[in-house]
Amino acid sequence: MTEFQSLDFDKMTPADFEQYLPEFFSNGDGHVSNDPRLQTFLRNNPDCAALVRDLEAIADQARSLFEPTEDQDPSDAVWSNIQNKLKQDLGGEDELPIPQTV
Amino acid sequence: MDVQGQQMTQSAPTPGVFKRNPPIAGEAEAIEAAKNGDAEAFSKLYALHKRRVYTLCLRMLGNVSEAEDMTQEAFLHLFRKIGSFRGESAFSTWLHRLTVNLVLMHLRKKGLNLVSLEETINPSEEDAPKRDFGSRDLALTGSVDRVALERAVASLPPGYRMVFVLHDVEGFEHNEIATMLECSTGNSKSQLHKARLKLRELLRQPDPIAQPNGLKEVAV
Repeated sequence: MTEFQSLDFDKMTPADFEQYLPEFFSNGDGHVSNDPRLQTFLRNNPDCAALVRDLEAIADQARSLFEPTEDQDPSDAVWSNIQNKLKQDLGGEDELPIPQTV
Repeated sequence: MDVQGQQMTQSAPTPGVFKRNPPIAGEAEAIEAAKNGDAEAFSKLYALHKRRVYTLCLRMLGNVSEAEDMTQEAFLHLFRKIGSFRGESAFSTWLHRLTVNLVLMHLRKKGLNLVSLEETINPSEEDAPKRDFGSRDLALTGSVDRVALERAVASLPPGYRMVFVLHDVEGFEHNEIATMLECSTGNSKSQLHKARLKLRELLRQPDPIAQPNGLKEVAV
């Protein structure tokens, strides 16, 4: 984090904080609120602390979207089209079975 | 296979994605069988991965019809080129990267060449997050409802949505996203931050019917 070497974390303004926030997030493993250098600033600037907590909550919940829910399946037509294309590839010999739902 | 200039043979494992893609029971056997042309194995691999691939396409494209077309293309590429998968990293990591590259190639074919893709990453002024930083009355703190977040992500401008999905949902690192989108790492970081700010703004908009649990205020 060499770009922060000249930055006084306790005396920076909210505007400074806003400017550096993307870097704080990318360097802080996604959890700026745990950064010991920012504790005094966040304690003294509750709006900035609230912003950080909201952005962390959004990033945390985003990770849960990685696992889709059961209603997020493509239509059956997708597999039918794949079957047809693959049959063409294989010379029309084999019928691909219906995939089991998992 | 070469999808958008990136070889779809195996490269070094990608830590950011690999950790989220543990092996699936029965998958390795299905991959080996599919390499030998086993139709049953193809259907098993489709069943195992269709939901994730489709959801990835849908989030990146924001359109059901296009998402289904790209899901189809991704699996056709997979089945035709599965012989190049050597098992050095997670199969789903490989499949996800293949899918992302296909979607990006699709978007470029629609008119987003390298320059315009960079422009697309920067949405118009009205789409950009508002600078309400420091306004105390808007400062909410709390948890985020999954359904509300999914809806908010879908309404993001395409450039924001792309970076947010790739980084925060799919787990790609900024340097990987920069390579895929042909932009700088700093641009990826900046767009991700703007995307999160925009999501915060969207989640705080009162919509009691469609969005009952956006960014909920909690006691601290």
